[in-house]
Amino acid sequence: MIRLATLLWALLVAASGYVMFQVKYQVVQLEDELAHVNRLIDGDREQIRVLDAEWSFLNQPARLAELAKRHLKLSPITPTQISRLDQLPWRSPTPPAAAASAAPPSAPSQPTAAPRSSLPGSSR
Amino acid sequence: MKPDDNPCRPRHFKPGPCTPEPQDGPAQLLLETSHTRLIITAVLFCLAFIVIGARLVEVAGFKGGETRLAHIAATERAEPARADIVDRNGVLLATTLEAPALFAVPKLIKDPERVAEQLASILPDIEESEVAAKLASDKSFVWIKRPLTPSQALEVNRLGLPGLQFQPVGRRVYPEGNLLSHVVGYVDVDGKGLAGMERGFDEILRDGQEPVELSVDARIQYILRDEIARAIAQFSAAGGLGVVMDVNTGEVVAMVSLPDFDPNQPVDADSDAARNQATLGVYEMGSTFKIFNTALALETRTATLASSYDATKPLQIGRYTIHDDHAQRRWLTVPEIFQYSSNIGSARMALAVGIDRQKDFLGRLGLLKTPNFELPELGAPLVPSPWREVNSMTIAFGHGISVSPLQMATAVSAVVNGGVLHPPTLIKRPAGYAPAGQQVLSTRTSEDLRRLLRLVVEHGTGKLANAPGYLVGGKTGTAEKVSDKRYDRHELFSSFIGVFPITAPRYVVMISINRPHGNKASAGFATGGWVAAPAVARVIERMAPLVGIQPVDEDSPEIRRSLMVDSLSPQGRKLAAN
Repeated sequence: MIRLATLLWALLVAASGYVMFQVKYQVVQLEDELAHVNRLIDGDREQIRVLDAEWSFLNQPARLAELAKRHLKLSPITPTQISRLDQLPWRSPTPPAAAASAAPPSAPSQPTAAPRSSLPGSSR
Repeated sequence: MKPDDNPCRPRHFKPGPCTPEPQDGPAQLLLETSHTRLIITAVLFCLAFIVIGARLVEVAGFKGGETRLAHIAATERAEPARADIVDRNGVLLATTLEAPALFAVPKLIKDPERVAEQLASILPDIEESEVAAKLASDKSFVWIKRPLTPSQALEVNRLGLPGLQFQPVGRRVYPEGNLLSHVVGYVDVDGKGLAGMERGFDEILRDGQEPVELSVDARIQYILRDEIARAIAQFSAAGGLGVVMDVNTGEVVAMVSLPDFDPNQPVDADSDAARNQATLGVYEMGSTFKIFNTALALETRTATLASSYDATKPLQIGRYTIHDDHAQRRWLTVPEIFQYSSNIGSARMALAVGIDRQKDFLGRLGLLKTPNFELPELGAPLVPSPWREVNSMTIAFGHGISVSPLQMATAVSAVVNGGVLHPPTLIKRPAGYAPAGQQVLSTRTSEDLRRLLRLVVEHGTGKLANAPGYLVGGKTGTAEKVSDKRYDRHELFSSFIGVFPITAPRYVVMISINRPHGNKASAGFATGGWVAAPAVARVIERMAPLVGIQPVDEDSPEIRRSLMVDSLSPQGRKLAAN
């Protein structure tokens, strides 16, 4: 009986020792991995910082203005191009020709054009 | 083994009834000793197990394990980098990037002169003899150059010389270049702030991980800088400056001083370009000071909008004569004095108020002491002492007192926003934040002044500042600069302070051009109304859509009525329209 118990305990000790070392090596490995991942994160963070700086550099307003002038057929918005929704007249139930004549004198609408809808600029 | 023979057997294992009682003697003594030893060992083991058990419970049940993990995760960043600076929309203005820096261990270097020569061929901006001397010293560490560009680092590495080593260092980068040179400032090679916010906020930037958010808007800054640069070129001026301020919070939205510099390659701190004229420079502002003079007269009730003053002929006081630039040679009402920028009328208004009340009022507007501001470059105003009657009269039209443009913008904000003075700031206020200001004048005076400012742009000296639809109000100012102890008619400081939209002011836009020269387009004039006013109009036209201010119909009856100046005589109206 005693021999059996001793054997059992010895086995348990061996097993727990094995498991303990197993866990320990796992932990060491995980720590290495963690340090590695941390290094990667740091590298990525640094990359992001560089890219942020580059983004800001490439978005310098002076540079954008120059590029816009060169490649876009747009110019800065003028006050006359801005209008509000409530400044637009309601669509008139009368035919377009009659509506055009009823439009305010400031509107440079042509008789055939739908009233106001062809005005430059957009409502905001 | 028979249990009875075992001397180490504990006593409570009672021998069987048939075994004989142990006898006294050496055997008994041995038994006693081993018994004691056994108990001691058992207690020790028990204690050890209790400790292990307690630790087990702590690790498993409480937070014993996490601190260690957190510690491992945190070891990577030994020293935190200097915090970033961003604008109010999060645009990066200053950041820290890692760059290799070159250092040497002189003890390991055999032939300092040859090494210095090789290094000088790779790094153009180091002094060969200086480096040779450094390498010949018996120190164990000398910096050669920091930071290096990646290609320079590669070249140095390729030399394969012992004793030369690299270490990554933080390098401050300003991606926006010249745009905000005076606001952001710059740092030295050790990362210590030397100018601008880098210096003013040095400690916070050092400790903080969160970026510092400025109140500046990079887009508006660009617009302001662009227009000032254009005005400087157009009028062959020496320099210029500008401030855009939110009148309701005191936030500086843009601040420009030209000439400027690239903070990535900072210039000599004593040079003109390094000088922030908007905060460090103090100037005699000229007629823009009439805003305060008129507010003073209305606030103290020594004048109403209907009062009039004699401006028929130049005013003689002692050895000074006060002239008008746009002389009308008649009695002028208060609105007319403002509109034609009459020096004589303003001086008489100030006389009627008296020195003490004038001094007190300007003091309340913060014009007599150095303002409280985040930037370290702050100019102290030049205030007359003693403050005599003649000073009082010249101060009425902005001579004999020098203040910084920042103070000017702050004080004008207070005059137009309903009379509440907010200290100027470069730090972004959260949306909807309503700072507690100090009521320095009545809302009624503020309202009157708004009407008068609009009058100047509609009918007076500031017509060129009109940005249609945005209801600009403002005041021109042209100060003669002092050269050889007297005012020089050709050395001017021409300003315009604009406020928009004048019915419910949001922003003050101030532009001053230093030493402009008239040209054909301006009919030879170089005054504030010709030089600075158009620039302010363009700034307002370009920035209004960005800040969400919609143009209105300036001729609509409600706006006409709200801006009506009651006392304006029909005659004045006719003259003004000319």
